[in-house]
Amino acid sequence: MSGRYHDPSEAAQPYSDPTPLPNNVPKVQELGATSAPLKSAAFFLGAYCKDYNEDFMLCKSENRDPEHCLKEGRRVTRCAIDLISKMRDSCAAEFEQHWSCLEKHNQEYYPCRTPERTLNKCMFEKFGLVKTIPGSPEGKTPIHEVRNPVFTGVQK
Amino acid sequence: MPPSGGFDAIKYKRNLPLRGPSGIVILGGVTALCAYGFYRVGKGNLEKRELEREKVWSRIHLVPLLLAEGDRDAYRRQQAALAREKEIMKDVPGWEAGKSVYNNPKYRPGEWVVVL
Repeated sequence: MSGRYHDPSEAAQPYSDPTPLPNNVPKVQELGATSAPLKSAAFFLGAYCKDYNEDFMLCKSENRDPEHCLKEGRRVTRCAIDLISKMRDSCAAEFEQHWSCLEKHNQEYYPCRTPERTLNKCMFEKFGLVKTIPGSPEGKTPIHEVRNPVFTGVQK
Repeated sequence: MPPSGGFDAIKYKRNLPLRGPSGIVILGGVTALCAYGFYRVGKGNLEKRELEREKVWSRIHLVPLLLAEGDRDAYRRQQAALAREKEIMKDVPGWEAGKSVYNNPKYRPGEWVVVL
C-alpha cells in the first residue's frame, strides 16, 4: 500500500478488494445474469418477486446503510435466481431468443415484439405471469400488445 | 406564284398541352398528405410515451435486485476497509476505527476508497 491518495476513477486497474464477506453474513449465490437477460425478464421479476422487492425497498427507505437490508437483499436475490432458473427450465428457447434479440437491438423492447410475445405466452402458460406496465392509460391496448405500431425496427 | 397544292394553313390556334393537375388538386393533395403525416406524428408521440414508460418500469423492476447485489459488495468493502484501518491505527491510543467525523447517526457512504 502506498501513502499517496489515488483517485479510483484514474486507477490503472479496477478497484477490487479480494477480502470476502465476513463469516457472520450468510452466503448467497449472485444471479450473474447480464443486462439483456435481466431486461428480458424484468417484468416477470417484478411480478414474481413483488413481495420481496417491496420489502427490500421499504427496508432501504428506512435506512440507506448497506448493512441494514442484507437479509431482505438475500431474499430478493434468491427469488430472482429462482425465477431465472425456472425460466431456463420451462421457456429456455423463448427466453434465449428474446434476450438475444434485445442484445442485437440496443436493448430496446419495440424491435423485439415477436420473440417477446412468444415469451409472454410461454410465461403465462407455465407460471401464470403476465407482463403489465403500471400507469399505462386505461382502456387502451398496452404498448407491448399493439398489433400495428408506428415504431418498428428499421430492419425486420 | 403559289406553290402547288396551295399554301399551308395559317397557324393561329392556341397550342396548350395538358399542364398537369390543377392548383386546387395539388393544394388539396399536399394538405391531405400533411394531415396524414401529422396524424402519424401524433400517434407516434403517444406511442413514444408508452415505450418510455415500458423502459422505465423495466428498470424500476430491476432496482431491488441490483441494489441488493451492490449492497452486499459495498458492505464487504466497508468491512475490509474497517479491518484495514484497525490494523493500521492499532498503535494510536484513543482511535476509534470507522468512527464518523459527523455527530449524526444517519448513514452516509464513505467519501473515499482505497485503490488496491
